[in-house]
Amino acid sequence: MPDVHSLVNEFILKLKKRKVEGSQATARLAAVLLRSVISQQRIGYTNQAGALIDAVKAVGEQLVAANPVEIAVGNIVRRVLHIIRDEDLSLTTAAMAGLNLSAVSDDDDDDTSPDDHPVLSAAAVAAAARSTLRPPSLQSLLEDMPDSAAVPHTSSSGGDSEGKSKSADKNSRSRKLKHDVIEAVNELIQDIDTCHEQIAEQAVEHIHHNEVILTLGSSRTVLQFLCAAREKKRSFRVFVAEGAPRYQGHLLAKELVARGLQTTLITDSAIFAMISRVNMVIVGAHAVMANGGVIAPVGLNMVALAAQRHAVPFVVLAGSHKLCPLYPHNPEVLLNELRSPSELLDFGEFSDCMDFGSGSGSPLLHVVNPAFDYVPPKLVSLFITDTGGHNPSYMYRLIADYYSADDLVLQRKAAPST
Amino acid sequence: MWRRSASFILDKREDASSQQEPLTLSPSQITAPAMTETLRNPSTNVSAYYQTRAAHYGVITSDWLSQAQAAVGQHSVENEVRSSSSNAVDSGSGRPFSVIEEFNNWRKQPDLAEAVAAIRALAAVIRSSEATTMMELEIELKKASDSLKSWDTTSISLTAGCDLFMRYVTRTSALEYEDFNSAKSRLIERAEKFGEISCKARRIIAMLGQDFIFDGCTILVHGFSRVVLEVLKTAALNKKLFRVFCTEGRPDRCGLRLSNELAKLDVPVKLLIDSAVAYSMDEVDMVFVGADGVVESGGIINMMGTYQIALVAHSMNKPVYVAAESYKFARLYPLDQKDMAPALRPIDFGVPIPSKVEVETSARDYTPPQYLTLLFTDLGVLSPSVVSDELIQLYL
Repeated sequence: MPDVHSLVNEFILKLKKRKVEGSQATARLAAVLLRSVISQQRIGYTNQAGALIDAVKAVGEQLVAANPVEIAVGNIVRRVLHIIRDEDLSLTTAAMAGLNLSAVSDDDDDDTSPDDHPVLSAAAVAAAARSTLRPPSLQSLLEDMPDSAAVPHTSSSGGDSEGKSKSADKNSRSRKLKHDVIEAVNELIQDIDTCHEQIAEQAVEHIHHNEVILTLGSSRTVLQFLCAAREKKRSFRVFVAEGAPRYQGHLLAKELVARGLQTTLITDSAIFAMISRVNMVIVGAHAVMANGGVIAPVGLNMVALAAQRHAVPFVVLAGSHKLCPLYPHNPEVLLNELRSPSELLDFGEFSDCMDFGSGSGSPLLHVVNPAFDYVPPKLVSLFITDTGGHNPSYMYRLIADYYSADDLVLQRKAAPST
Repeated sequence: MWRRSASFILDKREDASSQQEPLTLSPSQITAPAMTETLRNPSTNVSAYYQTRAAHYGVITSDWLSQAQAAVGQHSVENEVRSSSSNAVDSGSGRPFSVIEEFNNWRKQPDLAEAVAAIRALAAVIRSSEATTMMELEIELKKASDSLKSWDTTSISLTAGCDLFMRYVTRTSALEYEDFNSAKSRLIERAEKFGEISCKARRIIAMLGQDFIFDGCTILVHGFSRVVLEVLKTAALNKKLFRVFCTEGRPDRCGLRLSNELAKLDVPVKLLIDSAVAYSMDEVDMVFVGADGVVESGGIINMMGTYQIALVAHSMNKPVYVAAESYKFARLYPLDQKDMAPALRPIDFGVPIPSKVEVETSARDYTPPQYLTLLFTDLGVLSPSVVSDELIQLYL
């Protein structure tokens, strides 16, 4: 137990000091950390899923509070919560099916069921359990829902369905639940690791011969995507905007040239000048919001607007760990982070402008260095995730697959406590 | 003059309904001449849907007050109650059971949504039905819902409610319950719970919607919608500081009523005449509207004026949020404004209008999805394109 605690603290410290950055790295570390939290969590005989969920939530809140800008961390916490609920449900329904068989056979013998209750129980319980996981839909609107599950905010962490089943082999089941959950988290970690390759596999479908591709800054996903197309003998040219103030575009250009791709380096301010020669814009993202909007490295909104002006497709590559179930209007979504001005200016040259000692006490020169842009969904033509290409308006569907509705409010509790 | 739309969907629908008339228990057959007041088919002149709305949400205007003072205050109310209860008695004893009467009785309750009233009325059909098999019951229900729908073609949530319930009946009963009686009681129970579901839906929407209201924002509201009011109420209770602009909402002035309600909550309100929307749009941070119905394209059908407000908001890059319960999702696909059966409503101009002058009396318009930002529904916060997805899932 103290072991996990120190691990958590270490990771929180890293997040706070911005020692780990980038959504893939943070997502992976968060998933690994949560896996060890789960494996070390001691769980009782009843309400095991509830205990696991509480433990993960507690850690998750701290992680999210440590660096709210790394949206991927919150996403992973929610994914893990969803995994726990999912595994718990599949175990419960399996147990229920066993119970049910006996119950139904009893009913057939007695034939004394004036009320519909015993006949119902199976379907009702299954439906109730389903409704906790599945997003609400028109179909289930009229179906029976127990009150605890119906309102997402009051539901007591899905443990109630667990309490209902009084099966004998609890011990083995508790171990099974934990085992299954850890297995699934391992799969999640693997997914995060391989998302680049999975996205890159689709490159040939999107990049064609003699095309001109524009990208801004540097993204590992974009690099692999372009290289994958290159390996499949597509010949095309890449325009790389340098991505001030960090100039990561320079690195990308170097890597592309090393792999034998025709590369042109341009300044960020030349994007409008060059966009008319471009066939497609391919960029990476920091996070994808539920409405299909993108939180992306600074400068991309300009690229998106330029692309729209010239009707150039604007394609965003994003692993599924970047899908965030929140809307950019939600208060807990921190859209931006202000970085150090040293990336823009050399302190040595501008030190006299920023002298706090002289004059009114505040310097005349301010430097603002935001890290992210928000690109509204209508500017995005296509998302390519590890599951394929999607329209921005389709994002809600992926989110419904990956997250359960109960977990979306994860951060609301965290906000007042910090 | 109401122009026929290029699409002939509507024309076909009218044909179909006129053919069906003799088959179904159409209101004209049941209606005894004595019952003209309650059972008169209203679609000829004034939309029944808007009559109910006016009765429930009508703002007390000065001329209404003077009329009311002239009459004896209590008397008229008592009369109405007595007449409605006598209707109920009549339907029980004398004539065969009628869905429409049942629906009308439910509709009188101001807190009940139209769809809830429809589903309650269909539940009453199930209860009074003498069918012995599921098939018979379904056919009976189908007839009843058709007659309900044709009685007031202008009410979208009535149609949507009927469709939703019919879908539920056909989908669940056969599969899950072997016993006919238990299935029947189950259906009735669920139908009666539907009022609760609708209230819960409103609360969920309020919880979801209030997240989008931030401190210091200005919200433009058009029309009187219980859901929108609930969202604003929840936000106010959560100590959000915001300001509301209410349009006046001619001709029934429902904006005045909304502003009354908001003033009770100590929310700062400003009333605008309907034509001042573009003038004040630069101060507005977001537009909130309810919906009479959400159609398959993801657009909404709502009180007249919503479309122009959405257009203005779109051109000024302001988000337009729609709050609507999911049972208002209707399987309609209007192609243009005139593509729906027009809901007519009298407009009082205060001065006599020469008979040569035409008056546009349609009560609502269609706002296409590209002008809407998000829909707050009890299924979650949805982008307009999700609506068709939900509908397809249900009716596939």
